[in-house]
This record gives sequence, structure tokens and C-alpha cells, in this order.
Amino acid sequence: MKTSATKQLLDLYKEQSALEDYQSGVPRWCTGCGDNAILAAVQRLCRDEGLRPEKTVFVSGIGCSSRFPHYMKTYGFHGIHGRAFPVAEGVKMARPDLAVFVNTGDGDCCSIGAAHWIHALRYNMNMTVFLHDNQIYGLTKKQASPTSPIGTKSNTTPRGSYLDALNPLTVSLGVSNVSFIAQAVDWIPETLFDIVKAAYHHKGFSFVRIIQRCPEWLPKALEPWLQDPDRVQLVHHTDGIQLSPGLARVYKNQVEHDPMDIHRAREIASNTETIPVGILYRNPNVPCYEDTRHSGALRTAEAIRKNFEAELDKYSV
Amino acid sequence: MEADLQAHVAFFLSGKASTPNLDTIDRLNLRPALFAGYRDLTRLRYDFPLILLKDESGSPCVESLSGLIDGILDKIARGPDGDRIRKHVLRLEQHIRAQAATGKEGKLSALWDKAAKELGKNDKPVADSLARARANLKVDGEVVDCNGGMPYQLIGHVWALTQTQRARRFGEVADRLIIKLSEILQADFANSNAGRSAANLKRTFGSGPMDKFDFDVMSKLLSKSAPKENLSKNRKKRIEKLLTTLKTQQFFPSPHSTSKPYVFAFESCSEAIKAYRERLPKAIELSKAVAIAELEVRGEYSEAKHDRLFESFGESGLDPRDMALFPDYLARIHAEQLPGGELGSLTEIMSLNLPIKVLVQTDDVIEESPISNGHLAFALRSRQLARMALGMAGVFVVQAPASSLFQLRDKIVRGLDCSGPALFSIFSGVVGGHEQLPPYLIGAAALEARVFPAFTMDPGAGDDWASRFSLAINPQPELDWPTHRIVHEDANCQSVCEEHPFTLIDFVACDSRYSKYFAVVPKAHWRDWLADAGSVIARDKRGDIDRIDSVPSVLLVDPENRLHKAVVTEKIIREARRCLSMWNSLQELGGIHNSHAERLLARERSAWEESAKAIAVASVPAVAVPSPAAPAVAEAAPAELTTEQSSDEAYIETPRCASCNECIQINDKMFAYDGNKQAYIKDINAGTYAQLVEAAENCQVAIIHPGKPRNLNEAGLDELIKRAEAFM
Repeated sequence: MKTSATKQLLDLYKEQSALEDYQSGVPRWCTGCGDNAILAAVQRLCRDEGLRPEKTVFVSGIGCSSRFPHYMKTYGFHGIHGRAFPVAEGVKMARPDLAVFVNTGDGDCCSIGAAHWIHALRYNMNMTVFLHDNQIYGLTKKQASPTSPIGTKSNTTPRGSYLDALNPLTVSLGVSNVSFIAQAVDWIPETLFDIVKAAYHHKGFSFVRIIQRCPEWLPKALEPWLQDPDRVQLVHHTDGIQLSPGLARVYKNQVEHDPMDIHRAREIASNTETIPVGILYRNPNVPCYEDTRHSGALRTAEAIRKNFEAELDKYSV
Repeated sequence: MEADLQAHVAFFLSGKASTPNLDTIDRLNLRPALFAGYRDLTRLRYDFPLILLKDESGSPCVESLSGLIDGILDKIARGPDGDRIRKHVLRLEQHIRAQAATGKEGKLSALWDKAAKELGKNDKPVADSLARARANLKVDGEVVDCNGGMPYQLIGHVWALTQTQRARRFGEVADRLIIKLSEILQADFANSNAGRSAANLKRTFGSGPMDKFDFDVMSKLLSKSAPKENLSKNRKKRIEKLLTTLKTQQFFPSPHSTSKPYVFAFESCSEAIKAYRERLPKAIELSKAVAIAELEVRGEYSEAKHDRLFESFGESGLDPRDMALFPDYLARIHAEQLPGGELGSLTEIMSLNLPIKVLVQTDDVIEESPISNGHLAFALRSRQLARMALGMAGVFVVQAPASSLFQLRDKIVRGLDCSGPALFSIFSGVVGGHEQLPPYLIGAAALEARVFPAFTMDPGAGDDWASRFSLAINPQPELDWPTHRIVHEDANCQSVCEEHPFTLIDFVACDSRYSKYFAVVPKAHWRDWLADAGSVIARDKRGDIDRIDSVPSVLLVDPENRLHKAVVTEKIIREARRCLSMWNSLQELGGIHNSHAERLLARERSAWEESAKAIAVASVPAVAVPSPAAPAVAEAAPAELTTEQSSDEAYIETPRCASCNECIQINDKMFAYDGNKQAYIKDINAGTYAQLVEAAENCQVAIIHPGKPRNLNEAGLDELIKRAEAFM
């Protein structure tokens, strides 16, 4: 036995929650929406890891994806557009003991919240981020987002969008202090769950881009990848995700990649013909901002009073 | 038989010199030839003296003076001044080493400054070099040379650092728990009537416009709106008790307690055991308090579940991993104390896995046997200790001479930090008949001669002997005795190079108490039968000696480094054989010449050779005949497991379900989610074939297979079957 008798005693009556214990309300996402798959994977993670609801918080911005905290029976913060990261960083800084998750969309993260996204990567605070990328503004009924493929016809681009899509993976991999970058697709739930789990276990800012279908506004956009398994490239490694025999049989386009190799990660991430799925980069040695900034001193009543007085002194005449 | 041979053999067998051509070695002040180059150790660069560093921030806790100087020289001895600086700083190092060898102790900074002052007094370049080096000396600590007090100083120092780290770890846990528990009581008070009373509100208001605030009204408002639930009496009492236990513990220094912390270093094993026994109930109480407090601050303590469990907490003692929370005990004894009650106490510590670290210091490794009457039993106690410690599972053991302790520093740290007992059996080399030799050289010689072999046994390193036991620190561990090249001049002033093993006989030859067992043979009488003792023992081990045709001898040197050859008596050879036998046993444990492995290897080799021969015979025909075994192997290969369903039955590839709700919305009685929120067919009869086909068509990831219709009377079946074909 690797754990002590006392530790086992403490764990003896630890409450175990079922998946249903993390469910809150009926999701109002459209039928067939990829968000449902992400919700299922995350709820499964909470159950398997025994995350206590009162010690878990989901923070979001605005958009379809950002309704996520409403469907989790944990703490949640449905924030303002593009500002999920600053809110989550504040939560983590004040309560490093909480498991912090961020749910953001391609518009929320890559457009209005892009500045916060870049700096959140650089801060490398210990939180797990899911970028729900459906390549469109869905909640506001179809406007082109930064990740919409060139030529996407929408309310704002009736003749088709003019610019190449932004690649959230290559952008993230170019930021200093980046520590975990992965990509999943909602239609392969097995790898989706494996990646969600690996992201949760990584200490640092775990950024997972999840390509998801929008059956309402872009029902055909991902058809070529759904129809042809060879257009999905499974990225595997002994230090990354491992493939089950069933999965390996269906998805034959596989590549072995060491997640510590950032140059190769950038190369794989740049691939637009196929969708790479797996852990592209993981470096557990990048320091977390909260660890760097925390003095480690205990918050005694005296310390709190002293700091409070010091703050008030700034305004006294 | 030639007269000289007869005389040499007679001395070998009886220890009596029957010819004037055999001289006593007493007056010659001889030492083993290998030691010729080690007259003055202070002029050589080696591990000692050591600096005991106090820094706890993960840096090494001990460093050698030469290592520190090398680090400094790497930084400053560059450019045109590099050689000059190097020369001056190395001179300083030699000066400090000489000071330490004379018994001078103190901080490195103090010895350094004193030496620098003396060396740079009238020499500006030296002063400049030493000043530059001093500016780069970033650490400080006690300087200790290899002497009788060093093992305890070093191990005591590392042990103290380990205890400081544990105290800090415990302090962090205890302080956090005390704050959190106090906050629970404070919150309870704030919610109580007393907390909401006007008087208390006024007291907590601080300074300011007190007359402009009506505390009575505020008290009434709060009393109405505040939550009614307070801590239960039991919980409050429990938390108060936990706080008392955490604040008044004496295992570590505490700012909350006025009592003196316990002492954990003892001069005997029995005292250490006594203290451990007396304090065990307190340790259990504290361990229990920490466990309950953790549950309390997380709000997880349930009286119904936990009360009963904690009632019997620690009844059968504490788990060693739980004991790791507390300071470890350190007992220091001398090997001479063992025959008294200490051996029993030491056995109790090791067999009961008590968290006590024991340093057994042996000062004389070749003392005479307790049986006396000329009976020899070299390294008797250390062998007993080694056998006992290796026989006990879970004991961390380090056996080494003091001269090797610096090389074993990481193991020492590990041993002192492990959660169970640890034994450090150290040979200091300060007592005996080696008056002329420094303890460092004696220790190193004991290691070379296998009199006091070094080994480590680390139970935490793995589950097998290969992972746990190591002999790596011994020189040339694969050999019976390590061999060394001795270069000397012959009578014609020609250089002669010879390989000689360094054996127990060489080690004993420099101990004046055993000089009667050696007799010097004058150079004119050196003959071929005077073989080195190591080769004679090796021949004897192989059973090659039918009759005495050679006499074992050793090469010695006098103070002028003139070579001498001495014959040795059979009694010493017998001791050497016994010593070698113990070393060979250790080798086997360490996987060197392991008899089981060698037998197995021989068996496998023989089987392999037989099989190779058979293949060679079978492959003689020019046309290869297919082996009858081949098809069998192919047939035996496991077929790939497939779980394909019959296309007649409806099914869902559940693991691939993306939880998109499409099928559930069509018919939530027919389709349902499993524990992982992935869809499966719950009841095929709860819906129509049309719904199955519709679900298959709507499924985003095409994992629903409708199969064949079960109700052949369902309307529009022909069209449905046609639509379903795409999903078969």
C-alpha cells in the first residue's frame, strides 16, 4: 500500500458523486449540438475524479458555449463577453484550492477576448480551458467568427468571408509560457474524454480546442471530416494519449508525437487538410503565475487586518 | 627442500623465525608499498575536509573543500590572471586542509580569513587572488576533517537538517489547521447572540463616530436576519480540543506553547527506545488530531461515521508513513557497547521498525578476539551487525568507513529521511596500531582490503535485492581484492611495474599490534616462492595447492620508500580467507558472481548450445522442409476480437456516441443514456421501426444501426427497409 493508514481512513467515507449529481437543468443547446458531447465528457471527468461540487467552478463568457456553467451543479460564473479569463484568473488567485474550468467559444475567446486569451496563456495559471469552436456565432444567429473558414456565408458576410480562418492552436503555441495545448473533436467521444482528463491533470493553463458541429447554422461545414476518418489525424504517444484498438481500427491516420516537442507540435497544428486530434504540447515545468506570486504566508487574522488597514491608509488624508 | 624455503615455510606455519635471515618488522617502521605516495595527505587534494552547510534551500548539506574551491575557480580563474589565481587559491586550500588536519575546527569563513591573512601578508598578488575568491564564497559552515568525531558530526548535522525540514512541514500543516479551526469558532461566535449583542458590535466597530451609530438597533436587526444554526456542542468541544492538542504539542517548537520541545538525540539505543515508548501515546493523539482537523476544516467530519473510527485510532501503533510526520530519534553508540544490552536494544529497533536512526561507530576493526589466547577474529562486530541488519526487512543500512561518507552523502540523507529505522555502521579508523597513519588512509585501506566493505541497503528503492542493495562504492567490486600498479626501481635502477592486490594482509601489516605475524626477508634472499599473498589465497580458493610450494608475502616500504618484502604467518592468511568469504557473500547479494545466476546461466547456455547443434544438423538438406510446427503457430495466433453485431438486430455503437440528444428526442423510452451519458437502445419494443430509421438518419455520427424490422405489419416497411440499408 502506498498511502498511509490515516490517509485511507480519511478517504474511507469520502462522498462519491454520480454523473447525475453534476447535472443541472436541461441544456438549451440545439439538438445535435457538439456542446452536448463536451458537457457529457466534463461531467464524466467530475465523477471519475471525485471533484467536489463546492470546490469546482466553471467560468464562461458569452455565447452558446458559455451557457455551460448553467448545466453544471457546481459553482459557476457566467461572465461578460470575452472576459472569462480575467474572471477565472481572479478566482484562481483568491482560491487556489478550487478546480477552475473555463468554457469559451471561438467568438468569445478569439475575437473580443483575444487579448485576455494571449495573456492567460502567458500567465499559465492552473486551470482547464475548453474552447468550444463551432466556427460561427451561433447564439446571435450566424455571424462569421475568427475561426470561420474563408468563404463562409453569414449574416455579416453574405458574399462569403474574406479572410483565412485564425488557427487557435498555432496562435497558442506561439505564446511564451504556453504549457498545454490539445485538440479534440466532439464526434470522437473517447479521445475527447481522454484529452479532457489529461488537461485536468496538467498543472498549468491547459488549453483544449474542441472542434464541434453546429447543426443549426453550419450543418455541412464538417461533413468532409466526419465522412472520411482519414482526414482526422490521431496524435498519440506514451506521454500523450494512447489509442484503443477499436479507435485505431477506424482512424488509420495516426502520428506518434512527443508532447514535449514544441516545434513538431507547431508543424502538426498548422495542418489544415486533416484535423489533428491529441495532445500537441505539454510541458509540466512551466511555472504557474499563482505559485510565483503567492508568498506562501498564511492568511492569519492579523495579516488580513494589516493588509486591510494598509489599503484604507491609501485613501486617508 | 632449500634451507631458505624451509625457514620461510616454518615461519609461515609456526610464526617462529628459525633463521637470522628473517628479521622482525617492528623497528623498520614499515607500511604497505601502496602507501608510499601518501605520506602527507595535506599536500594532496581529496574529499576532506568537509564543510557542513546550513543552507536548507535544497542545496547540498555537505560539500568538500576541494569541491567548493573548484566551483570558485571555475568562476574566477579565467583570462590572463587565471593561472596565477588558481595557484594562489589552491595554496589557500592546502593551508586550510593542513589547519583542519591539526584538529583546528571552526567556520570555513573564519579559517579562510585567517589563512588568507597569513598568506597575503606581504604578497599583494596573493592577497588579490584570495580576495577575489573570497567574494565568490557564497556558503559557510563548520569545517571537519576525517577524525573520530567526524561521523557523528556529519550524521548529526544531516539529521538536524532533516528534523528542521520536518518541523517546518509540520508547522505549515499545524498553523493552517489552527487558523482554519479558529475561524470556525470565530464564525460561530459571530452568529451567536453574544456575537450579535450591541456590546460586542460596539467593541468590533473600532474607532470612529461611535455616537452616530445605534448598536442596539443593529443588534436587533442582525438577530432577526442572521442564520439560526450554530455549531453543535459536540463539534465545538471537538474543535476546542483539537486546538489545544495542536497548540500544546511538544514534538516540534511551537509559538503557541510554553513547554520545551522533546529532545530526540540519545547516547544509547535503550534511552531512545524508552523515550519513544513514553511519547507514543502523545504522538498518536497528535496524529489523530491532525487527521480529524483536516476533516473538520473541510466540513467532512461526520460524527455518525467518524466517531467510531477515531475511537480506536492508533490502537496498534502508528503506520510508519504516519510516523514520518514526527521527528526521528537518533542514537549514537560505539561498537564496544554492543556486547552489553545495546545489541538487544538495537535488534528491537530494527525488528520492530521503530523510527530510530542508529549510528554505530567502530574505531578498531581488527581488534583481538574476545576469546584471546592469540585467537584472531577481525571485523567480528561489523560482520555481526551487517548480517543482522541485512536479515531484517525494511531497515535502511549504510556500512562504510568514515573516508567514504562524503561519497555516500545522498544515501545518508535518504536514510535519515526514511520513515523507518536506519543503521549507519561506520568505521572511523582512529584506534588501533596504525599510529603513523591518518584515519582517512586507514578507512580507505579498510575499504580496499575488504576488511570493512561499504554497502547500502535501501528498502525504499525497490522490491528486490538488485534495486535495494548496492556495493558500487567499493573499489573494483567484481574482484576478490582490488589490484593496483606499483612502480619501483630495481637494483639496476630500472623501472619495474607490477600489479599487486591490496589485501587484508597489507592492511594488517601496518598495524604494530600484529607485527609478530610478519618477518622481513632481506633482498638477497628474495626467491620466486615468495608469492604475493593475494595470489596464494586465490590459488588456495581454487584448490590448486596440494603442498606448500610458495610462501605468501607482502611488499612494504620504509620511511625512505625502500622496498621490503615480508613473509606472513598462516594465522593471518586464515583471517584473510574468512574476510574474503564474507566479501564473496556480499558480492553474491550484490549480484556479482551470484552462484544461482551463474548456474542458471550455465544451464541455459548448455541448452542453447544443444539446440543450436540440433538446428545445424536439421538444416543440412539443401531444400528447406517446412517445419510442421509452423502451421500450428499460425493457427494458435489469436484471431482479432471482433464484436460485430448481426445486421438483423438494431444496435448503437455506444462508445462513439457524442451525446447530442437526437435519438433521445425522437423516443426517450426506446433510447437512453448510460452512466457515461452515451446512448444505447434501452427497449427496442418501446418504439417503431420508423423511429429507429429516423434516429439513424438524424444521428450526427452515424452510429445507430436499425437492423431488420421486428413487426412485419408496420406500415411502409418497404420504404423504411430501403432507407435503413445505408446503416446496416
